[in-house]
Amino acid sequence: MSVVFALATPPAKSAICVYRVSGNGCLDGLEGLFGHQDFSPRMFHLADMKNGEQLVDRVGLIVFKGPNSYTGEDSFEVYAHGSLGVMSLVSDAFINSGFSEASPGEFTKRAFLNNKISLNEAESLSDLIDSTSSSEVFLSGSSLFGDLSGRLAEYSDRVNSIRMRVEAEIDFSDEDEDFMDDELFFDLCKVKEDFESFVSLCANKRDVSQKKNILLVGPTNSGKSSIFNRLVGYERAIVTNQPGTTRDMISSEAFFEKSVFSISDTAGMRKTDDVVEEKGIEMSLSHISEVDLVLGVFENYEKNIMSFLKKTCKSNKFISVQNKTDINEADVKRYDCCVSAKTGDGFKELRQKISNCFSVSDTRNEIGFMVRDRHVKIFVSVTENLEQAIQGLSNKKTLELVAEDLKNARSELDELIGKKFSDSLLGDIFSSFCIGK
Amino acid sequence: MYKFDVIVIGGGHAGAEAAFSIDRAGLSCALITIDQSKVGQMSCNPAIGGLGKSHIVREIDAMGGLMAIATDMSGIQYRTLNTRKGDAVQALRVQCDRDLYKKAVQKILNKTSIEIIGDEVVDLIIEKNSVQGVITKTNRYLCKKTILTTGTFLNGKMYTGKDVIRGGRAGEQPSIPLSEKLYGLKLPMGRLKTGTPARIKLSSIDTSKMEDQPGDVPTPWMSISNPPKQHQIQLSCFITRTNKKTHEIIKNNIHLSAMYSGEIKGIGPRYCPSIEDKIYKFQNKDSHQIFIEPEGIKKNLVYPNGISTSLPKEAQAEFISSIKGMENSEITEYGYAVEYDFVDPRSLEKTLQLNSLNNLYLAGQINGTTGYEEAAAQGLIAGINASNNIKKQDDFVLDRSESYIGVMIDDLTSHGITEPYRMFTSRAEHRLLLSQNNAQQRLLMKARKIGMVDKETETKFLENEKEYKSFVEQTLKKTKTNSFINKKNTKIKLNENKSLYKLLSRNDVEEKRLFKTNQTNEKHYQRAITEVKYAGYIAKQLREINKTKKQNNKKIPENINYKDISGLSNEVREKLINNKPKTIGGANQIEGITPAALNLILIHIKKSELLKENA
Repeated sequence: MSVVFALATPPAKSAICVYRVSGNGCLDGLEGLFGHQDFSPRMFHLADMKNGEQLVDRVGLIVFKGPNSYTGEDSFEVYAHGSLGVMSLVSDAFINSGFSEASPGEFTKRAFLNNKISLNEAESLSDLIDSTSSSEVFLSGSSLFGDLSGRLAEYSDRVNSIRMRVEAEIDFSDEDEDFMDDELFFDLCKVKEDFESFVSLCANKRDVSQKKNILLVGPTNSGKSSIFNRLVGYERAIVTNQPGTTRDMISSEAFFEKSVFSISDTAGMRKTDDVVEEKGIEMSLSHISEVDLVLGVFENYEKNIMSFLKKTCKSNKFISVQNKTDINEADVKRYDCCVSAKTGDGFKELRQKISNCFSVSDTRNEIGFMVRDRHVKIFVSVTENLEQAIQGLSNKKTLELVAEDLKNARSELDELIGKKFSDSLLGDIFSSFCIGK
Repeated sequence: MYKFDVIVIGGGHAGAEAAFSIDRAGLSCALITIDQSKVGQMSCNPAIGGLGKSHIVREIDAMGGLMAIATDMSGIQYRTLNTRKGDAVQALRVQCDRDLYKKAVQKILNKTSIEIIGDEVVDLIIEKNSVQGVITKTNRYLCKKTILTTGTFLNGKMYTGKDVIRGGRAGEQPSIPLSEKLYGLKLPMGRLKTGTPARIKLSSIDTSKMEDQPGDVPTPWMSISNPPKQHQIQLSCFITRTNKKTHEIIKNNIHLSAMYSGEIKGIGPRYCPSIEDKIYKFQNKDSHQIFIEPEGIKKNLVYPNGISTSLPKEAQAEFISSIKGMENSEITEYGYAVEYDFVDPRSLEKTLQLNSLNNLYLAGQINGTTGYEEAAAQGLIAGINASNNIKKQDDFVLDRSESYIGVMIDDLTSHGITEPYRMFTSRAEHRLLLSQNNAQQRLLMKARKIGMVDKETETKFLENEKEYKSFVEQTLKKTKTNSFINKKNTKIKLNENKSLYKLLSRNDVEEKRLFKTNQTNEKHYQRAITEVKYAGYIAKQLREINKTKKQNNKKIPENINYKDISGLSNEVREKLINNKPKTIGGANQIEGITPAALNLILIHIKKSELLKENA
């Protein structure tokens, strides 16, 4: 197959970017790109990458000889510096070597075609298969995270037991049986309610995997930028002991407590004549309502600003932080958290507190489920179907439509689990009710 | 060379419908039955239609069959079931005069050129794996196609307590030589059972102690296409119940019941249990309903539906006399259980032709179904396919999404049966599309194309369709209003004028008060209401149907090697290798094939295609 390359890391400024190249014959291009050197496979090599005569970057290089590679073909990976400029130079160099840019899913597709990955491993394989619905369910019951599939099966059964009664009422209405008692309606409402809280667990986890926005605010020169740098893990913001150093808002990602946060540093709050800084302060205030969490950073207690922040944050979560405990005494009564950005004291606690703001409120400590968008879509549809069924039952809408809603809800759940729609319905009716003349 | 194009063996509901369809196709047909006077006999309870079944009768009617017309010629009580539910699941049940029904069927068949022969078929003429004709006790007939509709005659045994009689129906001889011939063919067989209650003299029961159940007023018709001009006299049915004493008597005698003594090995229908079964399995219920069905207008006989039994005669008499209104019952015939063999319907094509033997079709109870309607429908389909095949026309296979008949035949031939098969609306996954009221819209033109429906019926149908369309377009869509009365009897004002058709889609509209119907447009209005109510659901079902069709039509390459597909279980792999499905749809129909397995196959196919492309 032809030689293709792709950027394996996000196309954004970062410390390192990784390129993957795969295709038989790609190793022939190594000499032109990296010069004459012995690039023995599966070893990390340092090399100067060139585009013709022009130096692109000093990079790291690992060569994989097929079939012992991700795709099963000959391939190599390049670790370059993560600037956008370098990225475009690397791409140019590859194109000049006769490589072409990979289409989405291309590497996985090749890996699959070369028997390197099984179906269950190949998440992105849905691109390969142009059919929809049940054929998209690659995950059989066992591989769908075990427990999740068990939970879905439980809901499927509960929906089915209600549908069973509705169907019995339709197919055996001339029988001498009370298939649908008042409890049925409440059972159905309960199923929906439980399902929704189950879904919220899934969604929570999903949200966690999405970035949470945190805003640092507070009086000027309280050390917001130092705290920012510590949380982010490296120097992003310029820190001086001059008040008003940070004029624009700076944002960066931080990863701790198993979650990704987007943290923004803002200009300090004070009366200022500086127009640029004033704009910055306005901006930071306007952001308060949009973020998920506000950290109010103080060196000295300033009552006005504190109460202003508490009031402004309203429903937004707010943590008050005392900085510079290395030079001042920690005031645990007034602040939620006391830290020293200089020494790092109290940061463990701060990270924990931040994380706690986003953890599942449910104290039963239930395991959330990592689900994909596809699942969420189906969850929403199941909930809608259940809601329609409830409406139908309460409006005395035609019962066959209620049955249809329940059937749809169930078959969607079954589709997720990968179970074949079973014909147990009639069997369930016969074993539960005395039917027949 | 051939005496007849088609010979139908058996004169029950399947046989009658099969022969009638062959005659409509313009082919010559003989119907051979042991007792000519029994053609069209109702062997169980005297009712046609009911939940899930009236749909089938209307489908037969839409395709020119006789069942609905015979029903109307003999109907003595009409009752619509599920009236408080939507159109798709409503069903008409008709009590018939048992004798009049039989006469009606015979009258219809006698008007055709079908030759009805009273004789017993003892053998089939088989040459080169193809049935060429039949041999009767007195004669030998060659024919192009043979349709076997012999009901429960295969190794039939009737049980009343410890008494066992060979036979399929009370008072009738089983056809032993023909059944031996069939056993000789080594078809896959299974054993089933069913039962009947005792028959009781109407004059001996006191219906005044029972609940009276009259029929619908006005009296509807079962046949849409061609009902007779006048109804028969209409009668009531009656409802009574078993009681604690009844249950005690049965419990004390249950060890004498053929079904509980271990005599009977066949599987009975769960939806039609014997009274012994009901009492044994649902011990918490201390009363069961009994539905008293009149046998006919001038007949001094009732069919007590709900107490089928294989208890000894004395026990039957004892428990029956414990029931309210039945204290002085005079029993004319005792209940019994029947056990019989059936041919596994998975050995049939969807045309109902045996796949191991050419030119032989099976229809009705012999395929493991129960019910007159199910039998008649199979007779019709077997008849049509036999005719089509002779005329070198395409197979006539109805889809699951267009008819209950299609659902039934697909269920039978794909999955086989574990108990006598009867229709339920829940068997049809596209139930909302399949109302008893739209059978003509679904099937009439299809049947007309192959000559099953006459010109006159077609014209009448098309005129009705035109009328409906114009009613919707000209009246409902063009009449606009800015207010309506809702279900709570409040007047609702709207901001703008909306058409009646649009307003019907609102849940709160009181339809009866939105539009005043007259006699001619009442049925159109009802149809429009249903159409609007179901619209969203039906659109969804249609999308599903198309999706499934697309996937099911995906061809599996002939040279596929299932051993190359990793992830398939050995069991699944073996089934695929043995069945050699041609399409994904075909694979899907094999028992035990999971969606996961289907996906593996789909992906394997796609993978091969990709590898070919990239090579």
